[in-house]
Amino acid sequence: MAVAVRVDAVSQPDQASLWSDAWRRLRRNRLALAAAIYLLLLVAVAILALFYTPYRMSATGIAPDYASPSFAHLLGVDNLGRDQLSRLMIGAQISLVVGVGTQLLVLAVGVPIGLIAGYYRGWIDSVVTFVINVFYGVPDLLVALILVFLLGPSLANIIIAIVVTRWMDMARLVRGQTLALREREFVEAGRASGAKPLKMLFGHIMPNALGPIIVQATFGVPSAILFEAFLSFLGAGVQQPTPSWGSMAKDGVDAIQFAPHMVLAPAIALSLTLMAFNFLGDGLRDALDPRQKR
Amino acid sequence: MFTRGTLIYIGQRVVLIAFTVLAVSSIVFLGIHRLPGDALFNEHLHGEQYALLLHHYNLDQPLLIQYRDFVVNLVTRGDLGESLVNRGVKITPLVLRELGVSVEVGGFALIFTIGLGLLFGVVASIRQNTWIDYVLSTTSVIGYSMPNFVIASFLILVFAKWLEGVTNGTFYYQLGLWKGDIGQLWLPAFALGFPYASIVARLTRASMLEVIRQDYIRTARAKGLREIVIVARHALRNALIPVITILGPLAIGIITGSVVIENLFGIPGLGKEFAQSILNRDYFIVIGVFTMYAAMVGLANLVVDLLYVVIDPRIRY
Repeated sequence: MAVAVRVDAVSQPDQASLWSDAWRRLRRNRLALAAAIYLLLLVAVAILALFYTPYRMSATGIAPDYASPSFAHLLGVDNLGRDQLSRLMIGAQISLVVGVGTQLLVLAVGVPIGLIAGYYRGWIDSVVTFVINVFYGVPDLLVALILVFLLGPSLANIIIAIVVTRWMDMARLVRGQTLALREREFVEAGRASGAKPLKMLFGHIMPNALGPIIVQATFGVPSAILFEAFLSFLGAGVQQPTPSWGSMAKDGVDAIQFAPHMVLAPAIALSLTLMAFNFLGDGLRDALDPRQKR
Repeated sequence: MFTRGTLIYIGQRVVLIAFTVLAVSSIVFLGIHRLPGDALFNEHLHGEQYALLLHHYNLDQPLLIQYRDFVVNLVTRGDLGESLVNRGVKITPLVLRELGVSVEVGGFALIFTIGLGLLFGVVASIRQNTWIDYVLSTTSVIGYSMPNFVIASFLILVFAKWLEGVTNGTFYYQLGLWKGDIGQLWLPAFALGFPYASIVARLTRASMLEVIRQDYIRTARAKGLREIVIVARHALRNALIPVITILGPLAIGIITGSVVIENLFGIPGLGKEFAQSILNRDYFIVIGVFTMYAAMVGLANLVVDLLYVVIDPRIRY
C-alpha cells in the first residue's frame, strides 16, 4: 500500500509573488503613488459627472459670456456662457473613455498579433514586421485626421482612428517578448506535454509577458488622450456641445487675450493627467521590471 | 565619406520614395473619391453651370479615368490640380510655397530639440544623481507630458498678454526668414521642439551613462585630456548613435506637430493648409498636402539613415 505524501507538510520558505513584490516597490516611489492618487480622483470625478455636474454642460447663457472665475462658477464661464467646471468634468469622462477604451482595443489587436508573429515566426512574422514598419513610417496624427474625416467625427470613430494608427507599439513589444519566451524551458515542457497552441500562447506565454504589457498599456493611455486632444483641437474630434479638453483649449486660445481662464483650465487638466500617467508608467516599469535599471 | 556605393544607395532610396509618394497619393485620392456626397454641393449651382464646373474639375468622368488623369498629371508635370474652394488656385505652387515655410519653422524646431536635448542629457549624465540630474529628469517628464498646443498657449499668454508691453505682440510669423526677424520664429519653434527635446534628453542621458563607463574614456582621462574634450569628442560622439535612431520618428513628430502649431501662431505653412483644407472639404488640396507630407517623411528618413554614416564610420551602405 502506497504511503500518501502530504505535500503541504513540507515547510515552504516565505514567498513573495511578482505582484506583491511589485506593489512593495511601487509604494516606495512617491511620485508614482501621487500620480496614482490623482488618477483615482480623476476617475471619481468622471463617475460623479455621470450623475452630477454643477450646471448642465450644454446650458448656455447661465452667466455673462467669458465671465472670470467666481464662487458660482469656480473655473469661470466660456464663450457661450457655459460653466467651465461642468464642461471640464464631462471632458474628463471623454479623455478617460478614449484613453482606456483605445488601450483595451490595442490590447485586443496588438497582443494576439504579437503572440502569433513571435511564436510561429517564418513568413507570418515577416509580414507582421513589414506591416509594423510601414505603420511606423507614416505620420500617425495626419492619418488619424484623414480617417476621422473619412469616417465622420464621433467618439467611436476617434477611438478607431487612434487604434489603427497606434496598435503597433503593443504588437512589437509582445512579439519581442514572445520571441524571447518561446525559447525558455517551460514553453518546451508545455509543448512536450501536448498543450494546444491557444493554451500555449494565452495560458503560458502571455502571463509571463504581462509586466511589460501592463507598462506599455499605461504609457499608451496618455498618448491616446493626447491624440484625442489634438484631433479635438483641430476641430476633428468630439463634436459640440459635448466638451473635450482639446476643443475647450481651442475655444480658449481664440479668447486668450481677454479670458485666459478658458485656456488655462483645460490645458492644466490635460497636462496634469498626461504627467500622472507618465509618472505612473515610469513607476510601474521600475516595479515590474527590476532587471532593467535606469 | 560618401562612396560610390552610398550614392547608388541614395539613388535607390529616392526611387523608392517616389513610388511611396505615388502610392500614398493614390490611396488618399481613391479614399476621398469614395466619400458620399458632392464636392460642389454647397454651391447650390444649377444645370449648365454645374455641368461646366464638373467638367472643369474632370469630375464628370468615371473614377478610373479621373484617377488615370490624376496620376498622369502628377507624374509628367507634377500637377496636383486646382483648389475646389478657391477656384483658379493651382495646388502645386501653393503647397511648394507652404512647404518652404514649414521647413523653415521645422528646421528651427529641430535645432531647438537637438540642442536643448543634447545639452540637458549631457549635463544630467555627467552630474548623475545630483540635484541637477533630478531637476532635469523631472523637467523632461513634464516636457513630454505637455501637448505642444499647451506649451504654445502658455507662451502666447506670457509673451502676447502679460509681457505685451515688452514684446509689442510682434512675435507672429512673417513670411520669409531673411526678410523678417528671427525672433518671430523662436516661440513656435520652441513649442514645436520642446516635447521632443525631453525625449532626446532622456535618451542622451541613458546612452552617455553607458559610454562614460567605457575603458577608452578612462584612457582618455589617464592621458590627461581636459574634461570638456573627453565629454565632447570621445563620449558624446559615441553616445549619439542610439540618439540618432529616434531622429526619424522625431522628424515625423515635428511635421505632425506643425499642423497644430502653425494654426496657433498663424503661420502660413503646410500644416495650417492641411487642417484648413480638411475642414473646408477642399478635397484636392487634402490630396496635394498629403502627397507633400509623404515626400517629406520619406526624405527625412533618408537623411537620418545617411547621418549614421557621418556619425559612425563603421556603417557603410
